[in-house]
Amino acid sequence: MGGSIEIQNVSKLFRVYQGKSYSLKEKLLYWGKEKSEEFWALRDINLSIPEGVAIGLVGRNGSGKSTLLKLISKILYPTTGSITVKGKMSTLLELGAGFHPDFTGRENIYLNGSILGFTRKEIEEKLPSIVEFSELADFLDTPVRNYSSGMYMRLGFAIAIHVNPDILLIDEVLAVGDYAFQEKCVDAIMKLKHQGKTIVFVSHSGNQVKQLCEKAVWLDKGQIRMYGDADLVVQEYERRVE
Amino acid sequence: MFRQLRDVYRYREMLRNVVLRELKGKYKGSFIGFLWTFCNPVLMIIIFSVVFTHLLRTEIENYPLFIFVALLPWNFFVNSVLQGSTSLIQNAALVKKIYFPREVLPIAMVLSNGVNYVLSLAIMLPALWIAGIRAEWTYAAFPVVLLLQVLFILMIVMVVSVVTVFIRDLEHFLSIFLFAMFYLTPVLFPISMIPDDARWIFDLNPVTPMIEAYRDIFFYGVWPDWIKLAKLAVGVLLLNVVAFRIFHVLQKRIAEEL
Repeated sequence: MGGSIEIQNVSKLFRVYQGKSYSLKEKLLYWGKEKSEEFWALRDINLSIPEGVAIGLVGRNGSGKSTLLKLISKILYPTTGSITVKGKMSTLLELGAGFHPDFTGRENIYLNGSILGFTRKEIEEKLPSIVEFSELADFLDTPVRNYSSGMYMRLGFAIAIHVNPDILLIDEVLAVGDYAFQEKCVDAIMKLKHQGKTIVFVSHSGNQVKQLCEKAVWLDKGQIRMYGDADLVVQEYERRVE
Repeated sequence: MFRQLRDVYRYREMLRNVVLRELKGKYKGSFIGFLWTFCNPVLMIIIFSVVFTHLLRTEIENYPLFIFVALLPWNFFVNSVLQGSTSLIQNAALVKKIYFPREVLPIAMVLSNGVNYVLSLAIMLPALWIAGIRAEWTYAAFPVVLLLQVLFILMIVMVVSVVTVFIRDLEHFLSIFLFAMFYLTPVLFPISMIPDDARWIFDLNPVTPMIEAYRDIFFYGVWPDWIKLAKLAVGVLLLNVVAFRIFHVLQKRIAEEL
């Protein structure tokens, strides 16, 4: 079963300071006199994502896509507006979060899995499937510091894809591994979709967005420039960018 | 606060992993590593014992053990607070990239130091027995006093961990403040040695009842002052609710501050 996301009037302001002061002395000395610039990463975002829908998020770098995902996943909080999420949520923002280089692949599966919210029992149950998906069975007991970056990513993705949330937020992590592995990833996400999960998918690959999503949002400089069927939005976006 | 605790419970596997990581770091996977964590207190005890027994002449029997019994829980307190205060900053990368209930990090610091303290009793208790200080039924009060101390430390660490993100100096203020507090707590000397007009500071010090309780239980073999502990417990429970609330509100901005 999927979950739903309601985003109402959300804006996010970042203050960019020249020479950030962390110490008490500096804060007091420069109170009010600090030069700061206001940067509105997102403005007046209104979006309703119902259950079971896969929605793509496209836009240039810096348009606010990652910020929006971070707001939905409660890493950041909105400056104005509100976001209501119904259902269990999982974010693939960065693969291998918390990977410890001295730990083996196996140990990192437990570690990373726990940070993603798995219980020990869940990890044990999914371990064989994770190992098989990552294709790293031979390297499972070597320290992760010896992995290539591709292996690193594959392990991270294999763990993350086994999270069983109602809502899955994916931020540009499919540009990982070789073509065969990418296909595997897309298939895995498709499977989750057929299980009725809600998916928010950020990608620079228009093809992947069209493949996976029914709807799409084009974010431009923090605002929604277009919302509609994935095919149309991607087409417009790609045309404009040319 | 209960919702926060429930979320932490959901992430208990992560909590366990962070605590283990901290303990492994301290012990470096060896018994020798564990003994190293004693170097500091043992050294302090040697120095203080020499100073107070031979140079300044206090008349306390078994003075080194007198200190030991109070110094271990004191270190638990200080280390938890100092490590807890930087727990969010140290894990900035994680906090910014992935969602998890951030309470897990400061709580893990308190728990790992707590485990360290309890394990250290394996050295302290035999030391007491060898010196002729017997085990008593009063040991049964230990879990209660320990729980109270854990809750006391927790409320401080929850606030300090999140405030330090915004005011980095706090870490240094805390060091100095705790250093001063050490001499205003009856670790090196019993309260009875403090002149009456200065006693009020010690009575105001919330750590005093707990340190005295540990000493009562282990060193003197008497039951602790339950009334004092109960009063402290009420305050600690209420302030925990406040502390968790403060954490909940302030943690919203930490991903941007880190």
